[in-house]
Amino acid sequence: MQQMPALKRVARKLEPLAWIGPAMVLIAVVVVWPVIEMIRSSFLKISRFGVVQGSNGTGNYAKLFDEADFGGVMIRSVIWVVAVVALTVLISLGLAQLFNQRFPGRRVTRWALIAPWAASVVMTSIMFKWMLDPEVGLINMIRRDLGLIDALGGADADPLGAASTAMPWLIAVAVFVSVPFTTYALLAGLATIPAEVYEAARVDGASRWRTYWSVTLPLLRPALTVAALINVMNVFNNFPIIWVMTHGQPGYSTATSTIFMFILKGSDIGESAAMSVVNFGMVIVLVAIFLKVTNWKTEVPR
Amino acid sequence: MSKRIAGAATIGLAAVLALSACGSGSDGNGGGDGGDKAAGGPVTLKMVAADYGDGPTAENSGDKFWKSVVDEFQAANPDIKVEVQVINWNDIDKQVATMVQNGQVPDILQTGDYSGFVQDGLLHKVDEVLSPNTQSDLLEKFAEFGKVDGTAYGIPFVSSARALFYNKDLFEKAGIAEPPKTWDELKADAEKLKKAGVSQPFGLPLGQEEAQAESFLWFMGNGGGYKDDSGKWAIDSPQNVETFTFIKGLHDAGLTTPNPGTKDRKTVWEDFAAGKVGMVNGGPMSIPIFESGGLTNYGVTAIPGKSGPMDTTLGVEDWIMAFNKNGHQEQIRKFFDFFYSSSAVQKISDTYKLLPVTKSGIEKLSSDEKLKPFLDALPNATFYPFTDPKWSEVNTAIKQTIGSAVSGDPAKVLGEIQKIAEGS
Repeated sequence: MQQMPALKRVARKLEPLAWIGPAMVLIAVVVVWPVIEMIRSSFLKISRFGVVQGSNGTGNYAKLFDEADFGGVMIRSVIWVVAVVALTVLISLGLAQLFNQRFPGRRVTRWALIAPWAASVVMTSIMFKWMLDPEVGLINMIRRDLGLIDALGGADADPLGAASTAMPWLIAVAVFVSVPFTTYALLAGLATIPAEVYEAARVDGASRWRTYWSVTLPLLRPALTVAALINVMNVFNNFPIIWVMTHGQPGYSTATSTIFMFILKGSDIGESAAMSVVNFGMVIVLVAIFLKVTNWKTEVPR
Repeated sequence: MSKRIAGAATIGLAAVLALSACGSGSDGNGGGDGGDKAAGGPVTLKMVAADYGDGPTAENSGDKFWKSVVDEFQAANPDIKVEVQVINWNDIDKQVATMVQNGQVPDILQTGDYSGFVQDGLLHKVDEVLSPNTQSDLLEKFAEFGKVDGTAYGIPFVSSARALFYNKDLFEKAGIAEPPKTWDELKADAEKLKKAGVSQPFGLPLGQEEAQAESFLWFMGNGGGYKDDSGKWAIDSPQNVETFTFIKGLHDAGLTTPNPGTKDRKTVWEDFAAGKVGMVNGGPMSIPIFESGGLTNYGVTAIPGKSGPMDTTLGVEDWIMAFNKNGHQEQIRKFFDFFYSSSAVQKISDTYKLLPVTKSGIEKLSSDEKLKPFLDALPNATFYPFTDPKWSEVNTAIKQTIGSAVSGDPAKVLGEIQKIAEGS
């Protein structure tokens, strides 16, 4: 060993680089560099058309935090994420359990579940917007025929027109497009649970609920954590649903931070970059809280 | 070896990602013209234009219009190629900003504003890209608005004016003989329409598409506006607050489009075409929408003001401009001169019912009965304060928030926008 020439030794040490190097370069170029660039532009004064006019210190942040709607937008973003992810996970847990059973037509229903996932989110959002149109929307016509509203065309038939009725619809559409992925992730998780543990539970005389609670859920936790985590990030950064259906209006009352950032881009790119940095920080904080709450590192007790 | 391949693949992938990121707004056909030039072959002009039609698949789409113009131009100028990318009005500002940020500016841009680019020194002066002949054909009043500090950068492209459209059938049904001239009459008529079962007596689009136009028309009816006579921002002036208080009253009585702060003009115009709206402010460009919706029995009249019909209206001018970065000055000049002397100008008026900006164009149109009220209104028209550098920021705020003055406190909402206008 000691006779090995120095050059060869160095080459040996560097060998791992050959394997991880490309991945590192890729991460540096497509992940790290844009982040640095984003943080850098948040301290610059940039004209509306993207020409840099020099440093702006922390001016962009001061302006952002001074926006009358900033606080509301941030609170709404958190509510949006928590509501959409919680509902999505609950519904998906049920659906995954259902689709894990054997029943006639299971293949067809499993395929049908993919539809909202396969369709473009923008398309889905436009469809819902049309169905909620106050004059000619299908959902509103059904609501009228059911006697829930008196007539078309008025404020009652315009759920997307006011924040209090628009938010539930936006959340519903977001859940609608998130459920397929989550369900499939959980189905995959269910498939990994060996049949023996269920047998053991049955032998021990556990009830159905007890089995689900003490056997299925703990063993499903890895899949559940991953699915929920991806949803948290996806939903937080979700843009098309709100943009297409309400544009964040009236005012900013249905805008989340991503929408706010995009609107700011039209008036002040530096301030918009500051919003992006805040947004980025928020995702990290949300994910950190999520991982803390789910205790993802601790082993599942068996 | 494998490292090199992987490295190359990485760089390639990164380049693809970077390109697709830059090109997200440009359908990936950006760049490439520099190579043409170096080779001495035909020069490719890249043009970005707004869509005055009903989207890419419509018969009147901007793509089809520009293709016919470009085909004719290329036949006459085989050494110049023109690539036109048509973008809808909602996205064009942001997509162009992205192009500028990435250093991929087009040669020619046709959109709603030019002044923002002037401060960044991105534009050719009009003298550099438009022959004196063509320049002298432009209406002086319009060309005047294309100047920043006395130098012309923006070339007027089309114009339009606004008036009140009313549905004659619905008016008759409600027993209204004459269209309203004052706000009080407007309110009284709206109440009659409501009683006759019209769901939206007055169409009020205060959503992000064009809230700035609807608000401005109402402000003018009360002697207000975005700026006062001395040129200072006066968005929360007492007149303007009074105006929005009046609109709020209409809305609260159920006499307008529901939740106007979320409604785009296109939706409301379509509702008018479908006979669900009694009256609405519109322009020549709304005529095709009304008629394709099957509505022909409508009247056009001056917009009511607080105490009488308005003696002014909102004039809108759209612009075409040349960027100086790619060094295609000669070719751009050829294209502009061709465009303004071609039949395309007439075609825009015919297809989109937009008003021309050249003397020769207006002369040709003077016999068109439907456009006459608007051609008459043009000389008195008031324009947005778009040459003010703060306008784009103010405009963004108006589009997003002014509609909430109808459901909230007008003074507070207008005050917030005024604060943005006065900010540094």
